[in-house]
Amino acid sequence: MPLAPSNAEVSFDQLTLDPYPVYRRMRAETPVVRVESVKRTFLTKAAHTRLVKDNPELFSSNDPNTPMQPAFRAHTLMRKDGAAHRRERMAMQPSFTPKVIKSNWAEKYEAIAKDYIARLPQDGGVDLYRDLCGPVAARILAVILGIEDATDEQMMRWSQNLIDGAGNFAWRPGPFEVTDRANDEMNALFDRIAQRHLADPGPSAFSVMLNAKDPIPREQIYANLKIAIGGGINEPRDALATIVYGLLRDPGQFEEVRRQEAWDAAFEEGVRWVAPIQASSRLVLEDCQIGGWDIPKGDTVMTIQASSNRDEDVYENGEDFIVFRPSNPHQAFGSGPHHCAGANIARRTVGQIMLPLLFDAFPRMSLPDAEAVQWRGFGFRGPINLPVRLN
Amino acid sequence: MVQVHFVAHDGTRTSVEAEAGTSIMAAAVANGIDGIVGECGGAAMCATCHVYLDPADAARVPDRAEIEEEMLDSAAAEVTGFSRLSCQITLEPGLDGLVVHLPQSQH
Ligand code: HEM
Ligand code: FES
Repeated sequence: MPLAPSNAEVSFDQLTLDPYPVYRRMRAETPVVRVESVKRTFLTKAAHTRLVKDNPELFSSNDPNTPMQPAFRAHTLMRKDGAAHRRERMAMQPSFTPKVIKSNWAEKYEAIAKDYIARLPQDGGVDLYRDLCGPVAARILAVILGIEDATDEQMMRWSQNLIDGAGNFAWRPGPFEVTDRANDEMNALFDRIAQRHLADPGPSAFSVMLNAKDPIPREQIYANLKIAIGGGINEPRDALATIVYGLLRDPGQFEEVRRQEAWDAAFEEGVRWVAPIQASSRLVLEDCQIGGWDIPKGDTVMTIQASSNRDEDVYENGEDFIVFRPSNPHQAFGSGPHHCAGANIARRTVGQIMLPLLFDAFPRMSLPDAEAVQWRGFGFRGPINLPVRLN
Repeated sequence: MVQVHFVAHDGTRTSVEAEAGTSIMAAAVANGIDGIVGECGGAAMCATCHVYLDPADAARVPDRAEIEEEMLDSAAAEVTGFSRLSCQITLEPGLDGLVVHLPQSQH
């Protein structure tokens, strides 16, 4: 079998500005394709991305030599396989279960959501992305992690710094200087509050990890908190902004969602339509084949879940935001051992708490100029502004 | 082929046949059984494949392994002595005719 075809035309800028027409064409013409500008083999079909994520023995996450290592100053769980991965992941899992979310977090989150919604200027226009989606996601995460002492600004800045550092495949020194400073700040905060959690155990992720019967090493606890900071703000922020956009742009559909209180379905459709994490990479451990093409050992494949979520083999009219679909088996939370640890939290906070409270507070919210909303991102994607009228 | 009967929370019963060697979760997903999501694809990382074994069948099914035990805490519905993650049970001829009950919700 031959190697997958190569694509030297598609530029990184194109993928950042609007990857969807590119992916649509790839699905039709070259579903498995080497993209020269990104130096990765893209997998754009749902069956292939799932196959790769569900087979960690062949497609490994274990790659200590990515920019994630210097950015987080750690070999994190996202880049481990097998028992080492499971142990670190399960260390914080007790804080993220549906039952603990219901009994411990839901009430706090409703209060936070109401508080942040109440702070919005009641008249005129606001940028919902900047004024609500980001800060509320930061606060919710700070609480569940047990690091409430951090401000929203710190949480958002650290998160962005870590993401920029982890994506610094050009290995420029600048982004690592920034993550070094962020790591110092985070470590200082964690050192300062660890004693409090040890003295007064609670359900937060930090506390659960510190107080476990057989705790993971302190450096890994810190690395886990940083992974959650890097991976737990942008996605709910972008998901919320995407769903609000999708609903406001289609008043008929919005009316029906509201009538049926179909917020869960609106959430699932939003993350399907524009997956907040669009792509993930895996290292190929053995020569193998995908879709009839040879994939050599040592290659790095990128699962483009953004594309899988619009795959014609799975979805009709996948390019459109359609809440009421017969089924919605999207891969926005990934699959396999690295399936999103925060999926329950995201579903509850965005789908069950934020959406109903927001539209309850502003039943006549509108999007005066849908064209003004700008979208960005290849690895992570969402709107970068959301100018709405609240009343 | 091994037969499994799924009993939804509202009592609706659906019977499916699957190749020996597939997991109960995979058999459910392949046959569009709504009450099982299986979002992590069987990695014991999401607990959205939670089922209850029928008491009459429990003795036929191998015990939970440690990773399953640990992840069951993350199931959305109540966990009982009959609770299992259906991705961790492989259908073998000895399990033919198994009855599993589905929780009200997986989220
Ligand atoms: C709509 C919101 C979210 C989306 C769409 C999302 C998506 C994802 C995806 C696709 C992955 C897998 C990456 C891979 O396969 O390499 C992942 C992993 C992860 N997510 Fe989320 N996420 C969201 C919210 C959250 C939140 C709120 C948290 C915070 C608790 C979180 C914590 C994590 C962690 C810790 C991992 C790493 C899991 C591992 O490697 O085992 N996520 N997420
Ligand atoms: S499918 Fe995820 S735990 Fe069984």
